[in-house]
Amino acid sequence: MTTTMRSPGLWTLAWRRLCRDRVGMVSLWVVLFYFGVVLLALGGWLAPDWTREVGVNYAPPTWWMGAQESENAPVVPTTAPDNVAADLYGLQDPLASEFAAMHAAYPNEVGLPPEPPRMQTLPLGGDKWGHDVLTKLVKGSQTSLLVGFVAALVATALGTLFGAVAGYFGRWVDDAFNWLYGVFTAIPYLLLVFAIAAVLQQRGVVTIILILGLTGWTGVFRLVRAEYLKHKSREYVLAAGAIGASNMRRMFVHILPNVSHVILVQLSLNVVGFIKSEVILSFLGFGVPVDVVSWGSMLNEAQNELILGKWWQLAAADLAMAVLVTAFSMLTDALRDALDPKLKQ
Amino acid sequence: MIAYLIRRIWQMIPTLLGVVLLVFFLFNWVGGDPAYVLAGKMASPEDIANIRHQLGIDRPLWEQLWIFIRQIVSGDFGDSWSTHEPVSQIFRTRLGPSMTLLIPLMILETAVAVLMALLVSAFRGSLLDRSLMVASTMVMSISLLVYIIVGQYVFASVLGWFPVKGWSQQLSQNLTTYAVLPVLLGLLVSVAPSLRLYRTFILDEVGQDYVRTARAKGVSETRILWVHVLRNAGIPIVTNLLMGLPALLTGAFLLERFFAIPGIGREIILAVERSDFPIIKAATVYVAMATLVANLLGDMLYRVLDPRVNLD
Amino acid sequence: MNTPNSSLLSIRHLQIGFKLQGEPLFSAVSGVSFEVPQRSTVALVGESGSGKSVTALSILGLLPKTITRIDPQSEILWQGQNLLHSTQAQLRAVRGKEISIIFQEPMSSLNPVFTVGDQLIEGLHLHLGLSQRQANARAVELLHEVGIPEPLRRMGAYPHQLSGGQQQRVMIAMAIGCEPKLLIADEPTTALDVTIQRQILDLIADLQQRLHMSVLFITHDLTLVGEIADQVVVMKSGLVREAGLVKDVFHAPQDAYTRALLACRPPLHGRPHRLRVIDDFMSEGQNPVGAGVGVGVEVGVGVRPHAGSDPYPYLHPYPMRGLTPPDDILLDVRDIKKDFRIPHGLWGHRLFHAVKGATFQLARGKTVGIVGESGSGKTTLGLVLMGLHAANGGSALFEGHDLLKPLSSDTLAMKRRIQIVFQNPYASLNPRFTVEQILMEPLMLHGIGENAAERGALMRQLLLRVGLPVDSLYRYPHEFSGGQRQRIAIARCLTVKPEILICDESVSALDVSVQAQVLNLLKDLQDEFHMSYIFISHDLAVVRYMSDQILVMSEGEVVEQGDADTVFDHPQHAYTQKLLAAIPNRGQTPPGV
Repeated sequence: MTTTMRSPGLWTLAWRRLCRDRVGMVSLWVVLFYFGVVLLALGGWLAPDWTREVGVNYAPPTWWMGAQESENAPVVPTTAPDNVAADLYGLQDPLASEFAAMHAAYPNEVGLPPEPPRMQTLPLGGDKWGHDVLTKLVKGSQTSLLVGFVAALVATALGTLFGAVAGYFGRWVDDAFNWLYGVFTAIPYLLLVFAIAAVLQQRGVVTIILILGLTGWTGVFRLVRAEYLKHKSREYVLAAGAIGASNMRRMFVHILPNVSHVILVQLSLNVVGFIKSEVILSFLGFGVPVDVVSWGSMLNEAQNELILGKWWQLAAADLAMAVLVTAFSMLTDALRDALDPKLKQ
Repeated sequence: MIAYLIRRIWQMIPTLLGVVLLVFFLFNWVGGDPAYVLAGKMASPEDIANIRHQLGIDRPLWEQLWIFIRQIVSGDFGDSWSTHEPVSQIFRTRLGPSMTLLIPLMILETAVAVLMALLVSAFRGSLLDRSLMVASTMVMSISLLVYIIVGQYVFASVLGWFPVKGWSQQLSQNLTTYAVLPVLLGLLVSVAPSLRLYRTFILDEVGQDYVRTARAKGVSETRILWVHVLRNAGIPIVTNLLMGLPALLTGAFLLERFFAIPGIGREIILAVERSDFPIIKAATVYVAMATLVANLLGDMLYRVLDPRVNLD
Repeated sequence: MNTPNSSLLSIRHLQIGFKLQGEPLFSAVSGVSFEVPQRSTVALVGESGSGKSVTALSILGLLPKTITRIDPQSEILWQGQNLLHSTQAQLRAVRGKEISIIFQEPMSSLNPVFTVGDQLIEGLHLHLGLSQRQANARAVELLHEVGIPEPLRRMGAYPHQLSGGQQQRVMIAMAIGCEPKLLIADEPTTALDVTIQRQILDLIADLQQRLHMSVLFITHDLTLVGEIADQVVVMKSGLVREAGLVKDVFHAPQDAYTRALLACRPPLHGRPHRLRVIDDFMSEGQNPVGAGVGVGVEVGVGVRPHAGSDPYPYLHPYPMRGLTPPDDILLDVRDIKKDFRIPHGLWGHRLFHAVKGATFQLARGKTVGIVGESGSGKTTLGLVLMGLHAANGGSALFEGHDLLKPLSSDTLAMKRRIQIVFQNPYASLNPRFTVEQILMEPLMLHGIGENAAERGALMRQLLLRVGLPVDSLYRYPHEFSGGQRQRIAIARCLTVKPEILICDESVSALDVSVQAQVLNLLKDLQDEFHMSYIFISHDLAVVRYMSDQILVMSEGEVVEQGDADTVFDHPQHAYTQKLLAAIPNRGQTPPGV
């Protein structure tokens, strides 16, 4: 009995193995959930406007205080009353007649327009200015995840390209890349990032992505280079050469698929690493600009809030970050096990 | 051995040159004109030109490069742009506190990580192993920042066990009072990744054929782990440790910043905030040199420890 | 010597399975029973997957605990004690003292960071309680006993500083240090060169006599068994097929599989037209071939019909072998040299001469065999001819073109005409490509076939020709056994219809039964396509069987060459003579088969 059914390749087998790993699947769902939130936020359907001050300053979280207090409190207008008895010491108000004329012409429009009522409590609390922490959290997740993921893509792509060329061609090409690698790794990573951040005066999400991506290729490079060195003298590559395949073909059609599982794991690790780096950068003020919220900026604000006893922004940002990073790390482990079961002890 | 040493030092030179070029490229070309930033908002063109002249950035690029190289060789990077303290003095005085923080951290971290890795290897596959790995993943996922913020709050402000910040002139007081909380927090964060790494090293060795031979000879499991495996796994562990030293320096940045410890890391962060280029340049070059030397030492140590490697 | 009730080790109803996570229980040993008497050598023979090594490791409890499942009914009786039910402490007392074991790969079995002396002393210290000085002295004695020159100096050596043969001697020294009653030798010579093999075998036999111990010798090579063992146990797929005294089993094998094993080796004397294959035997007896696509037994779909219809094909007269004058010369190789640069000293290099000048001529439709041990340069020579290494001297004229100095214009065309089949079937196919992709690539690169349909038909035809089912196209290499993968590799070469095929140890990694099938296939293809072969191997019997002419290489030099029969029957050079003398049993096919 012969069937012409396609038999499973490595990815299919790995996927099946991953599905059997309960921890891995849970992590996968968590990560996908986060990515879903980010996509929604990017599209503007979720948390469209975090800069609106919807709560009172330092509004505590709703679930902490209990629902009954979550009403709209009438906001006392903060303008000074008109009839403050001020002793003018005989001086005339030079504009008094103009104001009198205006009041006569527009009797109803006095003072500032009434503000929309502000909430006493917010779902996850409010920050110093009354911004909704939940909204900030969503937006912050978007920033941090975007930066982490895109930077990881850039770094991994660069590292793979450099590593493939260096490992495959060897000799002086390898020496040149190794020199570059040596230079970049001689400077500890964070220091290099700080140095670049110090030099680039303008802040921006794109800037951070570039900084992280252009400095973070070294780990991937080392691994991909080692793999290419190993594979280039393997018989299947030699056989491809014997058949007449060109160098490009051998590098990218033959060897690359055999190395892709290593690259995927590295990509995953890089995402986690870059998210953490971005948080530190934003915290210190070298990361995202002031009008962009990220987990780092939230933690920055939280530091001062904690002393005043307001802990909810810290808790929210920290929890969101910890859950994602844990889930991603466990997903990376599960991926590694699924792709190369020999390693599992 | 000597031949190898000489060859390695010879190979270090292009890398060092590359670092110098990179730093120069970054600071003198990309970030070449901080005059506006330093002059402040209301500067006149003459002020800016003056500052430029003072900083020496109005000269041609190749001349600036030559000056830079001279500075590195002589060790004199001029003065800080913000405090006007000589850069070399800054480094000299700040090194002590950094070391007071780093050395205990390194010693403790290694000891704890290795012990836990051995424990985990002895009980591998068991519930203890898996839960410890999961726990370490979770510990790693929380940023150091959070540990610092919460740690300062809980242990210092609330419980009052340690001072919130500060440093003294006496080494003993530093070690027993001021450095304790930062070191503990640093330990918490760095043990987890080291544990995972060392565990991998040890597990790699446990699966080797020679372990099977030792077992076949009748050697006990304890002796196999502590003598046979550790002697082999110790090689990558020790060399890894040595080469990770300079990275520890930067990890201590945040600790120094938040605990107001007057060390190099704190200076660097302040310098970045203030665009104080001489300090950052000097720090980068010095730390790079330290890294290269540490790598070299680690490599030499590896060759000494591993008899398979030809000492030629 | 077989006195009743003198069994040293008794294995009864041994059943061992492995349970990997998420996979069903894999049964490695399915009910094995045999005895090892005192002071005798028992050979445990089987091909890969037979369960012989698993059986041996289970005696001392060396299988990985987490995945091993041993049936509680199994018994391994050692002096009345069931080792499977012993505590760890009891087992440790037996290991190394009463029963010792040596392994196949001596390099990785020795701890690389401890000296030879330290490793020897450890066992002596542990079991005999000797002091440091006593243990030291005894260790030196042991090294001397196993034939290591300058034993005192060697005590301070590290394992990587010794050759493979010396490492194995050290392993043996460690094993006999406490004078065990039973020595288990798990394929101890498989990883060694033929000449070293001989020495180690002699050593083990000698020690067995002197120390009055028993030896359980595990091997896949039945010819070795004839030399060294008193009794033999033949295993296949976890079961014992036959057991008994060596002379009985060799003289009159009862089981079809045993007969097949004995007959499938290419004999050193006489050259049958085709080798007998497992199938020939298995279909005769009551044991049906139904193992499916498994390791060790291969269902050859495309086997030529006359093999089955003619029970004794090898008695027919064979075609002319050797270089005969009217043959036209295809490849004229003159004085090929290849050197490798190895870094040496501070900045310099030194040259390692891998090939020091090889000259021969290859005629159309004939085979040149290159034989030598590891390090002889034979593989390098093959790779140089293939163009995978650049030569440092000499020429290889192939119809006017010098293969060693290819012009860029005709490189692709030249690549079609000479192809190579590598040794390792597990590494020569891209694991991420389906068979279809593997076969399609050369077709596309060389523009063979007008359209997809034509190419598809060509691929299917080739697969059938090498004896694989057509639906193999959609499978990945990891689903095939070693022999099948070699067939795929051969099919890949055939896509471009080469005139010269280089076989670089192409059957060395295969089981004996599978070897026979692949060799038969190669022979058939040569006859059909009139290809010339350059057949490289360390296995003398195989080379003799395949070749018309032979080159014997040693350390880069061709020490002897000539007609295959002449070289084998009347070797001139001392090295050739040494090689031939080292073959166990001189490759005799035992009578009665």
